[in-house]
This record gives sequence, C-alpha cells and structure tokens, in this order.
Amino acid sequence: MKSLKKILAAALTMALAVSAVGCGAPGGSGGSGGSGDTLKIGLATPLTGASAEDGKAIQEGVNLAVKQINDQGGIDGKTVEVVAEDDKGDPSEAATVANKLAQDESILALVGDFNSSCTLAGAPIYNDAGIVQISPGSSAEAVTDAGDFTFRTITTDAVQGKYLAKWCVDELGYKNIAILFENDDYGKGLADVAQRETEGLGAKVVVREAYEVNQTDFSTVLTKVAKAKPDVLIIGGLYNETALIAKQRSKAGIGELPIMGVDAIYSDALIDLGGKAVEGIKLTSYFSDSSESKVTQDFIKAYTDEYGKAPGTYAAYAYDAALIIMDGIKNAGADRAAIRDYIAGLQDFEGATGTASFDKNGDVIKEPLRMEIKDGKFTVVDK
Amino acid sequence: MFTQQLINGITVGGIYALIALGYTMVYGILKIVNFAHGDVFMVGSFLGLLFVQNAGMPIYIAYPAAMLVTAAVGVVIERVCYRPIRIKGTDALSILIAALGVSIFLENFAQLVWGTGTHAYVQEIKEKNYEFGNINLSNIQIGVIVLCVLLMAALYFVVNKTKIGVAMRATSQSITSAQLMGINTEMVIAATFGVGSALACVAGVLVGTYYDAVYPLVGYSYGLKAFAAAILGGIGSIPGAMLGGFLIGIVETLGSAYISAGYKDAFAFGILILVLIIRPSGLLGKKHVDKV
Repeated sequence: MKSLKKILAAALTMALAVSAVGCGAPGGSGGSGGSGDTLKIGLATPLTGASAEDGKAIQEGVNLAVKQINDQGGIDGKTVEVVAEDDKGDPSEAATVANKLAQDESILALVGDFNSSCTLAGAPIYNDAGIVQISPGSSAEAVTDAGDFTFRTITTDAVQGKYLAKWCVDELGYKNIAILFENDDYGKGLADVAQRETEGLGAKVVVREAYEVNQTDFSTVLTKVAKAKPDVLIIGGLYNETALIAKQRSKAGIGELPIMGVDAIYSDALIDLGGKAVEGIKLTSYFSDSSESKVTQDFIKAYTDEYGKAPGTYAAYAYDAALIIMDGIKNAGADRAAIRDYIAGLQDFEGATGTASFDKNGDVIKEPLRMEIKDGKFTVVDK
Repeated sequence: MFTQQLINGITVGGIYALIALGYTMVYGILKIVNFAHGDVFMVGSFLGLLFVQNAGMPIYIAYPAAMLVTAAVGVVIERVCYRPIRIKGTDALSILIAALGVSIFLENFAQLVWGTGTHAYVQEIKEKNYEFGNINLSNIQIGVIVLCVLLMAALYFVVNKTKIGVAMRATSQSITSAQLMGINTEMVIAATFGVGSALACVAGVLVGTYYDAVYPLVGYSYGLKAFAAAILGGIGSIPGAMLGGFLIGIVETLGSAYISAGYKDAFAFGILILVLIIRPSGLLGKKHVDKV
C-alpha cells in the first residue's frame, strides 16, 4: 500500500510539472516540445465530401501563402506550419475539428471553415477559446453575428447586390429592372437585395420571377420578361442557368436585353455553355486573372508555378486569409487575443481578392471588380 | 402574351407527350412502371450530341442512328433487368425497384462518361425567328410541334392499323391468350420497349436542339413530368398520354405566366391531383380503351 501511494504521488507530481510546462509554452518566447522554432496556424476545410474540390483549393491557397512567408525567412526567424483538419463539409464534423484546433494552445489562429453551416458550427467553440477564425468561403448573412473572433475574406451576398444595383441604376442608367432568380435561399436573398437597392435608387422592378435550379426551358419566364419591357435583366443565380437564359432570350424577341449578375456566374462554364449569347454580360467579382493589381498577378503566377493550374476564387480568398493571419502574428506577436485585436483594426490590406478592411462584425469590406464578357473572356472594365 | 405562352406550352407539352408514350406503352403491356424511362430520354439526347459532335455525322444520319441505339438500350434494359424478374413471376414491386436501379445506373454512367456539367447542344439547324404581330415563332419551335404531332399520328396508325399493332393490343389484353394465339409476345414486348425508347430519344434531341442544353440529370424532371402526363391521361392509353402531355405543358406554362413561375411544378402536379380526385383512372383511362 505504501509503495502504491508513493508511486501515485510521484505520478501526480510529474503530471503537474508537465501541465505547468504546457501552460507556459505559448506565452514564453522559447516554447517547448520541439515547436520552439515554428509558429502554427490551423486550417479547417472540407478535404473529402461534396465540397472537397473547393476545400482542396483552399488548402493550396493557404499552403502557398505560408510557403512564400517561409521562403522569405518566416516570421521573426520562425517557420510557419499549417495544421490541416478535414471538416468534410459537415457541421458536426466541423465542431469536432474546432475542439481539436481550439484546444491545441500552440495554434495561434486558423483559416476556416468553408461552408457557412460549418463556419457557424465551429464559431461558438473558437469564440469561447478566443482564437481567430477567418472563413474563406462563407457568404451567408448569419456569419455576421457569429462572434468577435469570426472573420471572413469573402463578402456577404448583400454587399455585392448593393454594389451591382448602384452600378446598374446610377452609372448605366437603367430604370426598368427585370429580376430572375433561382428558387432557393441564395437566389431569393440576392433578388431581395437587388430589388430593394435598385428601387431605393429610383428604378422600378417591372418583373421578378423565380426559376428552378437545373431548369432547361426558360421560354415562359422570358416571355413574361419581354412583355414587361425592361432595360436590363439582373440574374440571381449560377452560371448554367444564366447561360441558358442568355441563349434563349432571343426566342422571346429580347436578344439585345443586357444581363447583369454577381460572382456566382464567374465561371468558364458560363462562356463554354453560352458561347456568343453571353457576350456583354456584366458582373461583379472580387477575383479575376485580368485584374491589374500586382498582388493578384503575383499570386496567380506563384500559384500556377506551384500547382501547374490557374487558381480559382476560393484559393484566392484562402490565400488572403492566411496572409492576414500571418500579418497579425508578425505585428501583434504569438498571442491569440492580440492577433484578434490587430485583425479587427486592420485597414486596407492588399490581397489577391482586393483591398480589405473589416467592420465591427468581422465582415470584410472591399470594393468588387466590374467585369464584362468580351470576345469570350472575362475582362475587367471601368463601366 | 396569351398566344405566345400557349405556343410555349404546346412546345414543351409535345415533348412531355413523346416521353409519356414510352411510360404508357410499357404499362399497357406489362403493367409495370419503367422509372428508368426518363434516363433513357437523357441517354438519347447525349447520343444525338455524341454522333454529331464527336463522330462528325450529318444530323440526318446521326439522329436516326441515335434513335436506333437508344431503342437498343431500351430493349437491353428490358432483357437484362426486367425479364429475369418477370419470368420468375415475382410481383410488380420487384420490377419497380429494378427500374429505379437502372435509373441510378444510367445517371451515374452518364456522369462518368460526360461529366456532371451542362453541355451546349449541336446547333446544326440555324434558328430563324418569325414575328407575327406580338408572337415570336422560330423554325425550330414549329419543327418540334410538327414532329411531335406526326410521330404521335404514326404511332396511332401503327397500333391500330398494322399487324404488329394488333399483336401489341392482343398482348396488352392478356399475355397468355396472345401466346395461345401464336403471337410471339417476347418480340412484342421488345418492340414496345424499342419504340418507346426511340420516341424518348427524339424528345431528347428536341430538348437539346430547342433549349440548347443537356446534362446527366435532365431525365429526372422531364421523366417525372411525363410520368405525371401518362397518369393524367390514363396510364395504358396512348391518346391519353398525348392529351396528358399537352395538358401538363399548357397548364404549367399558363400558370407560370399568369400567377407565378416559382410554382411551375406545383401547377403541373396540382392538375394531376385534381384530375385523379375526380377521375381516378385518368382522363381517358376507361376500362375498354385501346391499350398497347
């Protein structure tokens, strides 16, 4: 019995000693456990499951940003290391991943999640633990109120809708607006914003109709649009349906009606499918390979050199998120709370997806690019 | 706008009717619902695209070839997936499950071969728009309507005036009696699947040409609407399938035009429910209707 007590006492002492070292590690400049010369940032993204393709692009964007910093000698001589976790695009999995990342005190901040539902599932855990998460892909309205430690490099749908309305009514002078939108939360949200904002600027929405995702026959809605005689057609939906609408509008006798949309239609599939009919479509977007920004062009070049393919939008958002986090570590030190305060006050950060600042809710504020399809290519335009 | 929308409705209705014929013919003979039929329509559409775009055939060879291959696909599906179950004498439910299996197979097969995206269709026929007052009518639209009507008339003639038609009607009344009369019922069943699939292929090519798009899951919504059309007209009845197709096309179009396009599918299936409440056997689903 006596020897057992001794062993127990020894074990307890050991445990205390270990935990004391563990506590001291992140605060102390030296750290411990072999991570002395590295700074860790987390990544929560879907690497398997339905969103895996976007999730992988995000991982590549983050890895590229980290590699570039490390090649320049790291931050204060320390190498940055990415701890990647797979949230599978599943909110319950995202919560598990969040616990794992938040409890690892050596992780200073993280990029993630991608899907809005996952970001919202992880947010309470990250906010309780006091660690910054920057989402590269969640544009849902609800992420705004997710907490002080939740940021994003993608804007809400409302921001783009507002900007599009201003461009359309104030600058292009369209007064009679037609809106077609896909019949789900995303499309309806966008249609609501477009209607509210254009009417606020004195224009009139003369027709507003929904269509189903994957619909092929647009003759009915386009006949209705033609009858209302609008100056412009705003589409709240994705590229496939936009291409078909553009192609079928000539059947309704409105082949010349201008079409406008947001970055949801920014895809080469729009041009492949739409051909000549999509020429002249105007849209807003944050990332474009024809952007004149040097940061964007450098990013595209580096990404293409590294992975042998052109980057997509989400890789660019993720690249920016990682850069912002590392900028935070550099300027505020290896401290979770200090990083949060630094990022919250960040102004005019130059990234691959434009110049970013954050509002008090952690939503990014940046001006979208204006694009038009010219000669079968997305081209940045002034008006 | 009314006339214009009516024409839009007739165009899509004709396509529903062509697909619905396949459902109703198979049901008429075997009393089974071939849920893979919508996907046969999709395969037909892709084959038309494949023969023109990849094989470089002119359309007057490519489209009949696509019809033949699609017909063969229909016959093979029956022979490989339905006949073994049918001969064992298992209930209709097993065949229904088999049909759903074939449907899942075809959709995934198409996604593997052609990818999950939407493809633009062949535009060999140059579209010309004619204006009559307020009405826009294109040569393709006229072609779709005329072709649908012609094919239906031809089918009606075959079923009612030819020897194979008599054999089909006899088989639909009673397979056993037809066999006793010396009719090769297996051949009749194969012919039924073949003709139904070929018509679905025509519908697929028309959808591709007119709306300029095809994707692997396109058969789902068209198949479901056409199935509703077959039920609405009285499943097993050929004139019923035609009437049902046009009716669903017109009702969903006019409903979208004058009430709200967001409820398009609700109009199509709403009229189905309405008719079934009043006439449970469908519009033309009488007891002694000429079944195939």
